[in-house]
Amino acid sequence: MTSIDIRDLTKEYGTRRAVDHLTFSVRPGRVTGFLGPNGAGKSTTMRLVLGLDRPTSGTATLGGQVYAELREPLRRVGALLDARAAHGSRTAHDHLRALAASNRIPVRRVDGILEETGLAAVARRRVNTYSLGMRQRLGIAAALLGDPEVILLDEPANGLDPEGIVWIRTLLRRLAAEGRTVLVSSHLMNETAAFADHLVILGRGRLLADTPVQDFIHARVRPQVRIRTTDAAALGDLLARHGHDASRDEDGTWTVRHAPADDLGRLMSEAGVPVLELAVQEATLEQAYLDLTAAEAEFTAQPQEA
Amino acid sequence: MPFAPVLHAEWIKIRTLRSLVGSLAAILVATSAFSALAAADADADGTDPLFSAFFGVSFGQIAAIAFGTTALSSEFRGGALRLTLAAVPDRRRWFAAKATAIALPVLAVGLLTGVVTLLVGKAVLGASGPSWAEGLRGAVGCGLHLTLMALFAAGLAAVLRSGVATLSVLIPFLLIVSFVIGDLSGGVADFLPDRAGQVALHSTWDGALGPWSGLAVTALWTAAALSAGAWSIHRRDA
Repeated sequence: MTSIDIRDLTKEYGTRRAVDHLTFSVRPGRVTGFLGPNGAGKSTTMRLVLGLDRPTSGTATLGGQVYAELREPLRRVGALLDARAAHGSRTAHDHLRALAASNRIPVRRVDGILEETGLAAVARRRVNTYSLGMRQRLGIAAALLGDPEVILLDEPANGLDPEGIVWIRTLLRRLAAEGRTVLVSSHLMNETAAFADHLVILGRGRLLADTPVQDFIHARVRPQVRIRTTDAAALGDLLARHGHDASRDEDGTWTVRHAPADDLGRLMSEAGVPVLELAVQEATLEQAYLDLTAAEAEFTAQPQEA
Repeated sequence: MPFAPVLHAEWIKIRTLRSLVGSLAAILVATSAFSALAAADADADGTDPLFSAFFGVSFGQIAAIAFGTTALSSEFRGGALRLTLAAVPDRRRWFAAKATAIALPVLAVGLLTGVVTLLVGKAVLGASGPSWAEGLRGAVGCGLHLTLMALFAAGLAAVLRSGVATLSVLIPFLLIVSFVIGDLSGGVADFLPDRAGQVALHSTWDGALGPWSGLAVTALWTAAALSAGAWSIHRRDA
């Protein structure tokens, strides 16, 4: 199986350093979320992996080979970089057929992947009649055309409707379960946490975190649980007895910090305190990510070079 | 990576874009129609018999330039080139395939245009028309000249990375500089890419270049433009 290995990778555009001594690996069999604010260097890194841009220094390899050495690379690596890459005046079918021909992929695979990405019905329509979501699906179809073992997708959920977002999550999970190497960039933490097993987080071209999603959550997220009950006093006693850091809000709900919802639910059930609502505060995951990237983002306000 | 699949892919890209197929048709229509109009209006004496029949090539070559430019500049829209080069990382090979996929249809249409234009010219001009021998040389020259101009434009488009920029350089150049200055002065103007190639479309010539040496000069221009384009595609970030 093929890993993506990035070693000390640096890319400068003029005096601006888009990617700064980046080192990490993307392993097969799991979805790696590639996170960072806009301009953090995610797309540049992907272009460097695909040999489209030349690194200033360092290397990006796929199973030990640089991309340019691959024969019929679409059969090994599939990428979605920009949904606008398909010419508006061509049909989706013709667009994929040309791509398939270049790597000697059989034409029947084109029909298969159009079916799989939900585009079969519009395959003979010109791409400029498509919505952004349909173009995104076509870009994903192009990435999967050669049945590749390594898949890089740059913001694939862009422009997808809610149904499309559920579809892409399921697809990514399936691709990873099949043992493929899947790298998916996004600038949204909550979206990424919904499908990723592992996170690589960039800020200003530098590596901020390379960690399993669960570890990131455990290490950085201080869970808050909001509890509503019919017997606020009993709940207060219960929480105090178990040493929880809790506070009672004006409307009678309790907010408990540093405690998993699972434990609290079990505790209240055992004590016989009725539960009306037990809710994890969702914002905390996004907040942890923002806290991590904020320090790097501060540099954006200042000129990089004197 | 072998060449044939890459050429196949580039050929699919060309024939599935309506604007490109339209430019190919325009080469034939513009050349033969303007040639017929000019021939019908030609003086019996004092004009070059072969060029009377092939006058429309000046218009047809604009369609050839549009074809070469559009075929290349479509790769510079919306990151299309990145997708292309992800499929074919060998950039020199890709550029060679692209140039071949541009050259072959223009050559076929150009030769057909030459034959049609010659037949129309001979029919309209009658006795004052070109002879068959020089007419055939004109027809072949027409095909080669149009092909070289399309490739010249493609090379320039690869350097400039924009269809609009390429056409705004080439069309004023052909219409104004070459038409006006070219008629006024001999010498250096004869060596401009479109002037040199069009010597092949004349019965007689008085400059330094003959029909084949003229086409060779245009071929040098084209080779230079293609080399610059290949270098640009190879060196620059996609």
